[in-house]
Amino acid sequence: MVVVRRRWFQVPWEFRESSIFTALSVLVGFIVQYATSGQGIPMFRLPVNAVVLAVFAALILGTGLGFRENEMVKWFGGIPLGLCLIVAISVLSLIGGVVPQGGLMAGSLFALLGVNQIFSSWPFALTVVLFLANLGLSLSWRLVPFNMKNLQFILFHAGFWIALSCGVFGAPDLQRLVVKVDEGESSNLAWSMENDTEQRLPFSVVLHDFSLEEYPPQLFLYDPHKEQPLQERTKRTTLVHKGAKASWKGVDVEVVDFLPSALPGKNGDPEPAESKAGVPFAKLRIASADAAPIDAWISTGSPMMKPYAAQFRELYFVMMPGAPKAFRSDVTVHGESGQQTSATLEVNHPINVMGWKLYQMGYDNEVGRWSKYSLIEVIRDPWLPAVYLGFFMIMAGNLMFFWNGIKQKGGVS
Amino acid sequence: MIVDFNTAAITAIAFWATGSLLGLFARRTPVLKLPALILSFAGSLVMVCFIGLYWSLLDRPPLRTLGETRLWYAALIPLVGFLVEYRWKITWLKYYCMGLAVFFLVINMNHPEVFDKTLMPALQSPWFIPHVVVYLIGYVMLAASSVTALHNVFLQLRSKENVAGESVSHYLALLGFVLLSFGLIFGALWAKEAWGHYWTWDPKETWAFLSWLAYLGYLHAYRYKIDQGKLQWYLALSFLVLLVCWFGVNYLPSAQNSVHTYTNG
Repeated sequence: MVVVRRRWFQVPWEFRESSIFTALSVLVGFIVQYATSGQGIPMFRLPVNAVVLAVFAALILGTGLGFRENEMVKWFGGIPLGLCLIVAISVLSLIGGVVPQGGLMAGSLFALLGVNQIFSSWPFALTVVLFLANLGLSLSWRLVPFNMKNLQFILFHAGFWIALSCGVFGAPDLQRLVVKVDEGESSNLAWSMENDTEQRLPFSVVLHDFSLEEYPPQLFLYDPHKEQPLQERTKRTTLVHKGAKASWKGVDVEVVDFLPSALPGKNGDPEPAESKAGVPFAKLRIASADAAPIDAWISTGSPMMKPYAAQFRELYFVMMPGAPKAFRSDVTVHGESGQQTSATLEVNHPINVMGWKLYQMGYDNEVGRWSKYSLIEVIRDPWLPAVYLGFFMIMAGNLMFFWNGIKQKGGVS
Repeated sequence: MIVDFNTAAITAIAFWATGSLLGLFARRTPVLKLPALILSFAGSLVMVCFIGLYWSLLDRPPLRTLGETRLWYAALIPLVGFLVEYRWKITWLKYYCMGLAVFFLVINMNHPEVFDKTLMPALQSPWFIPHVVVYLIGYVMLAASSVTALHNVFLQLRSKENVAGESVSHYLALLGFVLLSFGLIFGALWAKEAWGHYWTWDPKETWAFLSWLAYLGYLHAYRYKIDQGKLQWYLALSFLVLLVCWFGVNYLPSAQNSVHTYTNG
């Protein structure tokens, strides 16, 4: 058989042409980025972005169906170009995965090329748009004429197209704002962290109560000379509970009593108190081979109360507050037209109010559970349903792919 | 800890080692085949039991830290090896798999600090288990795919015919890719509930996306009928991207603000 080598740019185009085209596109992207001094791409909001996306989709569909025999169009919607674009997106994402994003490097070559904001840079946007065109063309050929055999392909590729395009084109409409409310107060002012501006919300949030639950406190041996806690070689922490034991260099410690919430009584010994006011106290029995055991109370303390520590020779046993286990805000949201909703906000349990989603975000980290305010993030993303539709289509397509993959296993011999 | 990890790990390693040894002898003495299988299987069973006990001890699934996920790999990777042997009569894969499992256990034995009980609020979600489990199984499949592909590469270099091996690495990659997609989307759905947005280009997300793209690229290259032999190299190396995603990300300069670093959590 005589192997005829394909000449450059001889139709049908394949990987060589595709890779040159892709590399040039990325280069153009970087040049535009540099020329616009790293300003990034212009952001269109609703309804402009929706119209642009609809025109783009119509254009792809029209080109795909109207010119499906054209060699250039075939190449544009083919696997070689698709693969090259996947590689380009990978390389750009790789930059984003290694170089810290959003870093302050104003004026540097990195910033001018958009390397520190790669995912909102011209090269990335251009590659994604070309990729959407490539994906869209291949999709149009499977959509018309419709055949059930193509269902898996259509679900996966259309799902990906919808999720990616709506995620990218809809990004300017995403609003992420933070409301800071004091306990017993109300606020309708929100900050945008992105551009450091304040804006008025169409509703106000009243914070009735903020509360924080902690994991059990941790026991540390503190060295006042080095001003740092000593840890075992294993770095394993000792959670304080009744009966907990630990030992450091021949010193044995046992927690003989533990009060999760208490306050000092008249004679200095702790007495149980309600959980809002009290702090954890633990009674330690400290023993070593060459000394009689001693008992001592220790506590984590609070902004209003000094902690208790137990001295043993040169060292101190101290108790650190446990990591936060859960924190929540009891709020009421009042709309402009009088409607109101009461709810408890907690991490992982946002609420939907008037087209916005409210999240428990944070609190005063300095004082932890004693925080007098709560930070609530309010988010609006009108494109979310479309992106989710894409996600569910991808998953449906994937289930079919998985099923077929398992079935085909039988064909291996 | 009531359940001692080192004892469990050493027991499992001993079972796998004797199982593998008997397996090698079984090539000449077929009678040894069954005991070899039972012993190798027992190794994984020990790990499964340990995970069960550890789970009940922690009151949460041990899926939070890298160290905890390594426990699952150690238990599950050999099982994939046994499954492949059962399904395609390929015997060598299970030895690689058991070797990998031992490697994971040894890492954990040297770093006991990976065992910590607390779980930060953002991780207390119904999405936690599906997200991590899907990724775990996906990674296990892709690890096996990569090992198979590497074996295929060696066979190629010695010019041996090996069609069955190439389809094993392909189907494992295909199934692994599907699971990666689910993991990625479950992660996005969870992120919307916990952190407010489904996609924020967090370094771990970026690397998960990169790993997904690597296998997306593979599947399209396969579809375009690129030489399967060359693609074995690709599959063998793709797993490196997964490795960076899995435990390399924490060491990258971009990871300063990642929501996936729990060391300060």
